Amino acid sequence: MTTSTSAPVTAPTTHAVAARTKGLRKEYGSTVAVDRVDLELPEGAVLGMLGPNGSGKTTTIRMLLGLVRPTQGEIELLGQRLPDGVEQALPHVGALVEGPGFHPFLSGRENLIRCAAFEPLLPKKQIKQAVEDALERVGLAQAAHRRYRGYSLGMKQRLGLAGALLVPRKLVVLDEPTNGLDPAGTREIRKIIAELHEQGSTVLVSSHLLSEVEATCTHVAVLHRGTVVAQGELTELLQAGGSALQVITPDVETALGALRQAKISARPLGEGLRVELAGTSAPQVIETLVKAGVGVYEATRWKTGLEELFARLTEAEEAERGMSSVDTLDGGRR
Amino acid sequence: MITRQLGSEVRWMLRRPRTIIGLFGLVLVPIIISFGIWTASDEGGGGPGLAAILKGNGMVVPIFTLFLSLNLLLPLVASIWAADGLAGEAQHGTLRGLLVAPVSRVRLLFVKLFGLTAMSLFAVTLMAVVGIIAGTAFLGTDGMMTLSGTTLSTAEGLVRIVLFILLVTFQMVSIGAVALAVSSTTEHPLVVQAATMTTIIVFQVLGQFPSLDWLHPFLITTGFPGLIDVMRDPIPFGQIWDSTLLAGCYLLIGTGLAAMRLITKDN
Repeated sequence: MTTSTSAPVTAPTTHAVAARTKGLRKEYGSTVAVDRVDLELPEGAVLGMLGPNGSGKTTTIRMLLGLVRPTQGEIELLGQRLPDGVEQALPHVGALVEGPGFHPFLSGRENLIRCAAFEPLLPKKQIKQAVEDALERVGLAQAAHRRYRGYSLGMKQRLGLAGALLVPRKLVVLDEPTNGLDPAGTREIRKIIAELHEQGSTVLVSSHLLSEVEATCTHVAVLHRGTVVAQGELTELLQAGGSALQVITPDVETALGALRQAKISARPLGEGLRVELAGTSAPQVIETLVKAGVGVYEATRWKTGLEELFARLTEAEEAERGMSSVDTLDGGRR
Repeated sequence: MITRQLGSEVRWMLRRPRTIIGLFGLVLVPIIISFGIWTASDEGGGGPGLAAILKGNGMVVPIFTLFLSLNLLLPLVASIWAADGLAGEAQHGTLRGLLVAPVSRVRLLFVKLFGLTAMSLFAVTLMAVVGIIAGTAFLGTDGMMTLSGTTLSTAEGLVRIVLFILLVTFQMVSIGAVALAVSSTTEHPLVVQAATMTTIIVFQVLGQFPSLDWLHPFLITTGFPGLIDVMRDPIPFGQIWDSTLLAGCYLLIGTGLAAMRLITKDN
């Protein structure tokens, strides 16, 4: 393992990227945990990594941190190619992977001091202060003298977070950070993520809790069966998910007729109708309706939730798979 | 940076409840031996060999103690430390933390090997010191009587004890290095201890069969009895050298295997 001069890859890329993977693949024996993962983590972003259990989130994160060697593919972390540049990149990375890992017979504070002793960027004199600051930041100062063995799940999680925040980081990777936390704890984690974002750190949060990602992230990557099925800015993704207008009106029939004439697709829904906003806009729809004499009681922009988007992405994948298998069968017959 | 990592490692090992209990147990050995010989000395006679010359010869207690412990007790302690060092850390998820810090994998192995060596030296020295104190208290001392029948001065005796401490520590570290290699392959510390102790016991059993004498030069346990030559006057270094060389091979092979495994390991 070389320590200083590795390769001239340190030159920053044109648009700043904190981490990037290309064609990442990991096999464990005959099972493929992760395949064709092309992930891009823009600098300063808060990227939420979404996916059901077993979709390859943690494996991807472990490869990103140099803990696991990919079977195939390339990884760039903070401008360094892995695995060669791992020792230059990792001091700037704080991570909480696969749950907090600490020694049960040591107190929370002693555990952090042990972690701090191995932090290259932390001068010896600042260890004590850094540990106290981190404990304070995650709200563990009161329980710092207690043994880790006696900590609740939430306290363990907080200590893990404290370990990731011992040093100011360029990139913070949090794997399921709100696991086992009560609502107050979850809010605090969100607050910490927001703080990191404000300070300019890049954050990668993996979660299977959609609301959590929606509340804290600027970017999203959705993993499903070991591949990225969608990624990009959260707002863009949600908009691309097709927006619609929900109109409450008693004159559903008239309204449908008017919209059909204006070549706007709509369908009855509940006490009114749902109008797709593809190729048109909300004011246009309402204008059309009003001109046709339809009484509009209420018009609401239908916001695609992440949950809906997520369900559609993972289901679409399923449908595609089904279709392609049918195709190949047909091809065989011909 | 490296010194503070090494310091942290040794502090961590010393803070473990099982280390404290283990050291306490080790210290009991020379006390029990001294006490046993002291109570037995009234009956006169005494067996042949080492036990016989122990009477009125407290300085021999540390050497006798270490010599006995090397067969089982010290390998057990070394295997516990090696097991906790890598497998135990992997089990608690703390190994990941160290690797992400980051500590390079080669350095991590060095830190672990250093911790093992430091603690082994500490444990063996502690046993020897307690042995000297207990031996002197129970059996008295006027110099050290050797297996060759001569008597050494107290100062010369102390030199022999220090030499023996170093030799025994080296044997212990070599066994620990092999245990570290096992430790790098698993997340279960008990597997490491079981594997190491089984190996030591099987080696000792194999050493009993004359028909397998072609195998004996390769067994680390074969070298143990030769170390007692430290108690002869003058010291014949032939067997001591052979034993140490053999242990050195185990140390190199163990460290090499552990390094190979650690470098390619997925965590």
